[in-house]
Formats: sequence, structure tokens, C-alpha cells
Amino acid sequence: MPQSAASVVKTNVYTSLDPVPRGKEFQVAVVVNIASGYHMNSHKPNDSYLIPTTLTPQLPAGITLVDTIYPAGKNLTFPFSPDKPLNVYTQSVTLRVKLTAGDAAALGDTSIPVTLRYQACNNSACLPPVKVPVNAAIKVAAADAKAKPMHPEIFAASSAK
Amino acid sequence: MSNVRCAWVLCAAALLVSGAVTACRSSSAKASNSAAGFQPEPDVTFKNLEGADVSLSSLKGKVVLVNFWATWCDPCRSEIPALIGLQDKFESKGFTMLGASMDEDGVKAVDPFIHTTQFNVGGHQRTMDYPIVLGTDAITDKFGGLLGMPTSYLISRDGKIVKKYIGVVDEQQVIKDVESQL
Repeated sequence: MPQSAASVVKTNVYTSLDPVPRGKEFQVAVVVNIASGYHMNSHKPNDSYLIPTTLTPQLPAGITLVDTIYPAGKNLTFPFSPDKPLNVYTQSVTLRVKLTAGDAAALGDTSIPVTLRYQACNNSACLPPVKVPVNAAIKVAAADAKAKPMHPEIFAASSAK
Repeated sequence: MSNVRCAWVLCAAALLVSGAVTACRSSSAKASNSAAGFQPEPDVTFKNLEGADVSLSSLKGKVVLVNFWATWCDPCRSEIPALIGLQDKFESKGFTMLGASMDEDGVKAVDPFIHTTQFNVGGHQRTMDYPIVLGTDAITDKFGGLLGMPTSYLISRDGKIVKKYIGVVDEQQVIKDVESQL
């Protein structure tokens, strides 16, 4: 019996700098852990009718989007599609948004809401598409503030790819 | 009561009980055919792609397979040839498919899909030419909730849900199940 769509995935959110100086580029990573036995369409599924995974930030004033980086999916076959592989995410994947805190970004604590949209299936049935809100908390500082790189295990590894 | 009479009473009671059990067992096969004891179909009305109402109750007298599906659902697509086959095989005997799409975009997504997407049915390219309606969460709630798609419900002529299928239907099994209701 399938789980509910929202319960198939657990997310953790990380930011790459603390604080984020104005004028500096930084990243928000959403690590998506997918329940065993389930997969979700990648950002670039093999068929246009399939619902892709997307990550969409709702940007506060002064924060601009530079890029959204999706991992490559894996081509896998399933009992319902034995001859046609699907490009999917399984287990754990990391999605990232590259952002810049502009000169007009408000100083202090800021929240960046991000929406993860995905559509998951197991080997025999599909769950409806779902939008999961996640939140990235950052602290914006003056342009000359010293920023500490955070979570190198996520951001250094992602940069190396 | 004397011991002998007591024994006779006990024996008679035992016979009655065993007779009742036997009767129950012999009627259980009939129960599945007559759908006695099964949940009645929910009181739901769908909209078809032209916007007209299609109530489940209006199909009473027919055996119905209500199939919840979506255009973006690959397992759903994989069973469509089997469902087209069911309609071909059993429509004249009083059966109908009812494909209830759960696409968020409704008619905009479903109408072009059913008219253009081809499925291989016994070596022939066919479109989804059985009745298609639009499902809603309110409707699936009345069926007990929908966790995944495809999910199908086999409904007897007298409006009882006799079987639920979660995931892709086994074609041979669903043929047997439909036949048992006709």
C-alpha cells in the first residue's frame, strides 16, 4: 500500500555561508531523502508528460536567483515500464539554488521559502504530485563581513561535480 | 433434565450449529457473486469531458470498473490496453469501464490525451475509447481515499463494490472477476 505523497520524502535544508555578506553569492541546498521502494521523476524525465522535480525559491527583496542546479537522474526500468527506462531520483539527492544577496538585501535574519515539487511512484502505483515547502534561514551581513563556509560535505562535494 | 435427554439436546444443538456452518460455507461462493455483504458504491457524480453529470447510480444494472488514473502516471498508462480490451470484450454483456482522471489540469490535459495517445491493443493502435470522466478528491474520499494510482473498483450490477485493485491490474484476474459478475 503506497504511503501518502508527502510522507515519501524527507528534506533537510542547508546554506553555504554564515553570515551572507551583501554582494556575495551563496547557495541553499535541499537534501531530499526518498523512502525505500519509491522513486521520483528527475528534473529531466525521459517523457514530456511526466511531472519533473523542481525547486522554486520565493525570493525576498534584495535576494536574486543565479541558477538552480539539479542532479542527474538515473535511467531505471520498472515492472510497469520494462522496455522504456525512466529518468528518476532514488535514495538521496541534493538540489541547490545559487543566490546572491544584493546591496538592497535587508540586514539580519531572513527566511527564504523554497518549494520542492515532485511526483513519486513505487513499482506498481504512483502518488499524486505534491509541493513541499521548505525554509532556508540566512543572516545577511554588511558587504565587508567575514563569511564562514558552512557544510563543506554538501557544498564542496557539489562543487566538485 | 435427565442425562440421556441432555445428551440428545446437546447433539441436536451440535447438528444445528454444524448445519448452519455448512450452509454459511456453501453460500459464501454465492455471496461474492451476489455481492451480499459488500460495501455499497458511493453516491458520487462525476463530470464527463463535456461537463455533463455522470452519476454512478445511473450505471446500476451494469457491471462497472471505475479506474482512477492520470495522464502523467506511467503505471496507469501501462494498463490502459487491458482496460480497452475489457470494454471490447464485455460491453455487449452489460459491462462498462469508467476512467476517472485525477489530472489537476482536467479537460485541458485529458481531452487531447484520449484523442491522440495510441495504445497497442492486440496488435492494433487504439485510443482510450471507453467512457472518461473527471475525478476529484471529494469523489475519491467517498471511495475511502486514494493513496495511489491506478486504483480501480469493480462494482456489481446492483451497485456493490466487490473488489478493489491498487496498482496495475492483472489482466487475466480482472477478466475473471468481471466475468464472475456478468
